[in-house]
Amino acid sequence: MVQVVFSPKWFWGKDIFIDSIALLVLLCIAIFATKYYRIKKSRNYLYLALSFYLIALSFFSKILINFTIYFQVLHTQMIGSIEYTQVILKSSEILAVSGLFFYRLFTLLGLFVLYSIYEKQSKANIILMIYFIIVSIFFSKEEYYIFYLTGFILLGIISNRYYQNYRKNKESTSGMLAASFSVIALSQIFFMFVNFTKHFYVVGEAIQLIGYIGLLAAFVTVLKHGREKNKNRYHR
Amino acid sequence: MEGKRTRIDIIGDMLSSIVGKGGQIKPTHLMYKSNMSHGQMKTYIDDLVGKELIKKVKKGNYDYVIMTDKGHEFLQKLREMKEFEKAFGL
Repeated sequence: MVQVVFSPKWFWGKDIFIDSIALLVLLCIAIFATKYYRIKKSRNYLYLALSFYLIALSFFSKILINFTIYFQVLHTQMIGSIEYTQVILKSSEILAVSGLFFYRLFTLLGLFVLYSIYEKQSKANIILMIYFIIVSIFFSKEEYYIFYLTGFILLGIISNRYYQNYRKNKESTSGMLAASFSVIALSQIFFMFVNFTKHFYVVGEAIQLIGYIGLLAAFVTVLKHGREKNKNRYHR
Repeated sequence: MEGKRTRIDIIGDMLSSIVGKGGQIKPTHLMYKSNMSHGQMKTYIDDLVGKELIKKVKKGNYDYVIMTDKGHEFLQKLREMKEFEKAFGL
């Protein structure tokens, strides 16, 4: 059976709340990137918006799966003295499994699009990478950690790119962005070890929340800097 | 060295120059401050007037270019965008 529930029972609902915050942060950035694309017509803005929309969509899929499972199809069974939650996917099985597939697909595609902004790809590379992403998602059905490992690698490269950008321009917002993505990358490590104990899922979600709050803080700071009135020049 | 300015960069420089002069500027000064040729500036001014970002007015013997509220809002968006570009390294 495909594992679709990683959260301990006491954490149900709380993870949905955390993922909803991530979804809102991602949507905010995507909407602003779309707005800027309309002004500047730069492909980089288009890809940035696309990547954030894809990752937001992945969180939406995850929220939908978790909501369906937590509140509709989970049953608790007693075996011996150990109580554990067994996932019984009845009519919602197709929804949960396909939802999980789309969650993983949109996450990795989104991260790849974001990565492609900074590392220009040939058409052949794009096809190859999409193939590898789909393969890694299929393997993740049995070995779920492959998905988090792939996510960790992509997030690690993106974080490093933002760190290099920070070293170059010394802008506080670039530093905040690099730190936020590094924290989100770190959360993937905890998700990788969820099978050892479900508490890793809780830690992973908490770290991820810190990462997305950092991302929101970076975004708000960007807007604040842009709205400062005492700039005489458009170019600094 | 900065690369070639894009159209949106030039508009940003023009609007910023007007704001730097308190919201109104003589076209000649705008031309120098924005590093543009006369022909280039004329095209841009006509474009920005058409988009209601600036207005052309006559005060005494002189022509002035004045920033509109819409122009102020647009300049703010451009500044936000510039910060966004710097932060994301776009």
